[in-house]
Amino acid sequence: MIGEPEVVASETLVEGDRVSLTFPARGDLVVLARLVSSAIAARVGFDIEELEDLRLAVGELCLLALQGSDARHGDLQLEFTISEDSLDISCTHGGAAPPRGSGNEEGAEADELSEQILSALVDEHGREQEDGSVRAWLRKRRKGPLA
Amino acid sequence: MITDNLGLAHQLARRFLHRGEPLEDLVQVASVALVKSVDRFDESRGVDFAAFATRTIIGELKRHFRDKGWAVRASRRVQELYLELGHATSTLVQELGRSPTVAELARVTGSTEEAVLEAIEAGQGYRATSIDASENEDDPLSARMGERDERFDSVEDRALLAPALAKLPLRERSILRMRFIQGLTQSEIAVSIGVSQMHVSRLLAASLEELRQNIGHETPE
Repeated sequence: MIGEPEVVASETLVEGDRVSLTFPARGDLVVLARLVSSAIAARVGFDIEELEDLRLAVGELCLLALQGSDARHGDLQLEFTISEDSLDISCTHGGAAPPRGSGNEEGAEADELSEQILSALVDEHGREQEDGSVRAWLRKRRKGPLA
Repeated sequence: MITDNLGLAHQLARRFLHRGEPLEDLVQVASVALVKSVDRFDESRGVDFAAFATRTIIGELKRHFRDKGWAVRASRRVQELYLELGHATSTLVQELGRSPTVAELARVTGSTEEAVLEAIEAGQGYRATSIDASENEDDPLSARMGERDERFDSVEDRALLAPALAKLPLRERSILRMRFIQGLTQSEIAVSIGVSQMHVSRLLAASLEELRQNIGHETPE
């Protein structure tokens, strides 16, 4: 009988750990969010497929936070929170974002696509707007709990 | 309904582009998935078609990668790129007379800067894992690393070493980097800095001893 193969993962981030990343709100820097996300995902025990889902999802998250605002101003602040069975990522654009609905139709369509992609990749997601800043967030659960 | 949403299929296919499959294949998979989602769509459920189709198309794109053994190929590709980077770095050091930038490495290896950074990160990860996994057993993994008995490979070791390394003179630091990060042999280092191999050996031994003293013989948990 062959048993379940042992999972070798580098779980060096544990429940309650938080990681923050702040960078200028520019599309060409979203790569930073993806790189940090995959490094974190690997350290909380996500498999490579989940890790790729997260990379894709975090890109959409940044897009959502950037969309409809003057993307050359302000910062994107990413917060990664590790809990027992999931990874939460929130992305806040602290720039002067105009209220939703004032943007063009194209922007609204892009937002919708990003939200649909998130629905297919993560377990929960949402977007809020408060005091002129946009906060998009997601939650991705792991298949198994922390070792 | 299909023609209205072909753009959606294209856009979703593009999102999966960085994984090494040609765009036309991905568009093909996404388009077939779009047709499937039209067949399966049930208007009476009150769900928006675009949302339903997005879910189906992403599901099919993911299945496409899974069926092609993508995870295995991807990690192999990352490891190959990591090895390739080692060679590319040595070559570029010779050509440029300085350490190459990530952009230069990306150009030489025909990959993106992001892929280079991923490979560097993952390459270190693989090594850390292989050492950890072999910790308490008679494991062939550790035997395979026999040649490199000085353990400076893992990220953790390097984090511990960083402050100690900073205290070493520049030449000793570069020799250590060439030996343990670029994986050059003592003879190769000797050629590149223009001294004898014996001298490199002595410098390495002395630097290692100094490092050990600087970090007070601590070993990372």
